[in-house]
Order: sequence, then structure tokens, then C-alpha cells
Amino acid sequence: MFLQLVVSGISQGAIYALVALSLTLVYRATTIVNFGHGDFVMAGAFVVYVFVILAGMPFLPAALLAFALLFALGLAIQRGFIEPIKAGPHIGFAMMSIALGYVLRGVARAGWGREVLPMPRVFDFPPIFLGELVVTGESLVIVGVVAVLLAVFFVVFYRTRTGKMIQAVYQSERGAALVGINVRRFHCIMWGFGVALGAVGGVLVAPFTLLHPDLGASFLIRGFAAMTLGGFGSLWGAVAGGLLLGIAEQQLGAYVSTKLIDIAAYLVIIAVLVVRPVGLFGRVAAVRV
Amino acid sequence: MRDRRLFYVVPLLALLVPAFTNPYTQFVVNLMLVYILVTVGFNIVMGYLGQLAFANTAFFGIGAYTTALVMVYAKLPFLLALVLGAAAGALAGFLASVTALRGIRLYYLAIITLAFGELMRWVYIHADQVTRGTDGLPVPVASVFGFALDSEMRKYYVFLAIVVLVVKGTSNLLRSRVGRAIVAIRDNEFATASLGIPTAQYIVLAFVWSGFIVGIAGGMFAILIGRVVPESFGLIELIVQFAMVMVGGLGSLAGGVIGAVALTALPEYFRRFPGLEEMFFGALLVLILLFLPKGLVSFFARYLPVFREPLYRE
Repeated sequence: MFLQLVVSGISQGAIYALVALSLTLVYRATTIVNFGHGDFVMAGAFVVYVFVILAGMPFLPAALLAFALLFALGLAIQRGFIEPIKAGPHIGFAMMSIALGYVLRGVARAGWGREVLPMPRVFDFPPIFLGELVVTGESLVIVGVVAVLLAVFFVVFYRTRTGKMIQAVYQSERGAALVGINVRRFHCIMWGFGVALGAVGGVLVAPFTLLHPDLGASFLIRGFAAMTLGGFGSLWGAVAGGLLLGIAEQQLGAYVSTKLIDIAAYLVIIAVLVVRPVGLFGRVAAVRV
Repeated sequence: MRDRRLFYVVPLLALLVPAFTNPYTQFVVNLMLVYILVTVGFNIVMGYLGQLAFANTAFFGIGAYTTALVMVYAKLPFLLALVLGAAAGALAGFLASVTALRGIRLYYLAIITLAFGELMRWVYIHADQVTRGTDGLPVPVASVFGFALDSEMRKYYVFLAIVVLVVKGTSNLLRSRVGRAIVAIRDNEFATASLGIPTAQYIVLAFVWSGFIVGIAGGMFAILIGRVVPESFGLIELIVQFAMVMVGGLGSLAGGVIGAVALTALPEYFRRFPGLEEMFFGALLVLILLFLPKGLVSFFARYLPVFREPLYRE
């Protein structure tokens, strides 16, 4: 029972990890927390739905196309909406990301009304039995895709020249600009990846869940909870936090009360910020006056 | 001297409003009054204290539920229930300020207060033996000193009196030593502390005052709608309230009033078309942020000196 819950927790947690990682990516690159991120996750799911159901495409090309589209959307957002208000207060960024997410939600609702859309299953893998454990096909797909994405991401981040450039900008924008890195372009690309990576979360859950325009909010909160738990701004922390949150939700739901699944994320946020604001893996930053 | 004229002229003109409304438009006007208090309260923490705290819907919901519960179960008169609702809002404000004092700021504060609001909504839903959960708690007709608030017009005059009192009080408070300390903390907390101003006390005070006002707004909302439902205090409500502050003008009382009036009325027109309301709202916010980042009030202030406020950030 316990292990079974861990397994299903990991497949939920993999999505949270992806959402938290993409939030962290944008946060580290631009110091902006994207409060509209949940709606980009929703957008990923809806774009795939449009391509698969309405355009009749197979799932994989549809997913790749969705990734590309949302990448472009992320670029456009940084260039058109974030860059112009760069000099303003942080409250402006928060409002801008909320507003953009809200527009997306409106577009989804205008297109599909208030109904809930089921998407036919696109993968049909048989479950795997390991002793008493049952691993469903869908969790295999989700965990597999997320694992591959994370592996690629961390290899690029720590092992390649591009990754070194990213780290350089993370450490000091001005320093990076001085050695010839195009910081503006970098910000755009990071927004693109942030949005697209979050949307992959939506693409992955699309076949297994009911789609509705308000899908995003729960992902946003869980992404925040995962980030907070792992240490705000830590890339590995976001992944670990996501997995832990997924597992914790399942355990709480089974052993305490299913009502708690909905608020596990809130409780995690409040508990972590009150007890240890830097999270499990974060470091205490010095305050500069 | 300048904005004093506004304080006397606008309420006097507002006395005439019921002559031009039908019950539905009067209801919308009453809702505007509620949202004026909401934005004024939100603005104290966000605009004047400069903290990204999203506990506003929590204060609003706590005020509404406290007022309603006290009226239903303790059968207390409306004004007393409203005071208790405001006190509960103030208590919630105190709790929120404790997190800010612990060094939880900026996005951390935004996220923890967001979680606080959603947690409260979960409580309203699951404490269903008291709150009746998602069905909502019906609120009895309120009466003020034997004067039953059974029509929108009657509610209007009582609400108007409360709003004028609270807004005037807030304006005075912001103009006093307290308000200047709060604004100084926004502009530079360390410099303020180095002047010997007890910053922690003023941060607590700003949150408590904000919670108190929004708590009153919650109580008024409860009797205006006649039923308190958990869904009224969710994330979408938070976005609407945040938008009112931003559209009107961050850190401006007149701005809060303008934002509340503008954004209460406009969405009513779009209710019929699913999605259009959200697109319109989002697009409006984007436009304001890009082209009028100090809100509609800065547009008015350019031409009308009445709208220029001394503590308004340039």
C-alpha cells in the first residue's frame, strides 16, 4: 500500500516537478515569478487537444508542435510585455503575468465554453506488475518523458557551453553582458523554455485528465509549493520538491483524509515558509542594503 | 486642501444616485461601494506599504463569514456583526503581518498569503456543518436600529455612510505620522529604521488596518448578496481585486475608488459571453501596465489637480 502510493505519487510529482522547474527557470533568469504559469500549462493541454482531436494529428507531432508554439509564445511575452515594464516595480511583473494568463484562460473559455472536455486516450500501454505493485502505463509515460527532459536539461545546464552561459547570466547579468553574452536574447529564450517546459506538463496530463479552462490554478499552486519545499530558486530543489509533494499528497490522502489532497500544497507552503523559509535545499542569501 | 473638496462633493453627489437607478443598477452601485472598501484596504498593504501580499480575499472572506455566522447563529444586529467581522479581518491581517515580520517578503509573501486565502476557502467548504459548505450560508435581512435593509436603496445609504467614514478615516490616517511612516517603509525600510521609526509596529498596523477595512467590506458583501458562498473568495476574486488596485492606481486612494467603480461596472456587461470577460479584463490590465503604469488616476491627475495626492509615488 505504502509503496503503491509512492509510485502513483511519483507520477503526479513528476508533473509538479516539471512545472516547478519551469517556474524556477524563468525566476532565476529574470527574477520574475510567473503567476500566469498555470494557464500556460493549461494552454499546452488545449493546444494538443486542438491538434489531436480537431486537426486529426498523431499525438507525438502534436506535442512537438505545441512545444514549439508555446516556446514562441514565451519569447513574444518577454519581448512584448515584460521588457517594456522592466524598470517598474515587481508588483507590475506579478500583475502582468496574471493578466496574460487570464487572457489565455479567456481564450480557452471562449473556444470551449464551460464544458469539460475528455480527451481520448492516445497511449494504451498495459500496466506492469512488480510483485504486488501495479505501475500503470500512463505513469510510465509521464515519468519516462519527464525523466528524459530533466536529464537533457541538466546535461545542457551543467555540461555544455550554452549551459555555462546560462549560469553566467544567472550569477551576474552585467558581468555576462561584459563578456559578450546577449542578455536580452537570453531572457527571451529562457521565457520561451520556461513556458514551453511548463506546457509539456499540460501536454502530458492532457490524455489522462478532463480538460477545462481553469485547469491551471491547481498546477500553479503545486508548482509554488514544490519550489518552496525544495528551496525557492534551486533547480534541483524544484524537482525534488515536486516529487516529494506528489508522494506526500498521495500518502496524506490515503492515511489521513482525501480532503487533505487539495490543501497539501497550501500546508506545505505555509509550513515551509514559517519554519524554514529557504526550503530543504536552499541556501540563506545575504541581504544587501 | 486639494482632495478635501473631493471628500465633500463626491458623497453629496452620491446621495442622488438612487434617483437614477433601477433595483439591478442599484445593486451594481452597492457592489461598487463594497469594492471601494476592498481596494482601499488592499492598497494600504500593496500600494502604501509596498508589500506583495495577496491575503485580501482571505480578509474579505473572513469578514463576510464572521458577519454572516454571527447574524445567523448569535442573532446579533447587523452593525454589531459587522464590527465583529471587521475585528476578525483585523486579526487575519495581524496573522499575515507576522509572516511579513519574519522576513518573508516579496514573492515568498505573495505565495504564503495566496496559500492562506486558499486554505481559508477550504475551511469554508469543509466546515460545512457551520458554513453549509458550497451551498452557501443564507444571510438574514439586516436591520440598522430597527430600519430594515430590505431594498437595494436602503442598503445603499447605509453602505455609503460606512464607506465615507472609512475612506475619510483612512485618508486622515495616511496623512498622519502613521501614514508617512508606512510610505517611508515602502520607499526604504532600512533608512526608515535608521531614523528611529519602529518599522515592525507600522508594518503590523498597516496589515491590521487593511484587514479591518476589508473585513468591513466582507460583512457588507454578505448582506448585499444575501448568501455567503466559498467560491466568492477564490483566486479569480483575488485577480479582480488586484486588478482594481492596479487599474485605478497603486498607492492612491482616489485610484482605488476609480478602479473599483470602473471594474465593478464593466464586467457586468460581459457576463453573457463566456471567456470574453476574462479576455477583456486581461487585455485591459496589459494595456494599463504598458501605457499607464500608475493607473487611471495618473491620467486624471494630469488634467485635474484635485486628483494629485501628496503621498503618491512619482
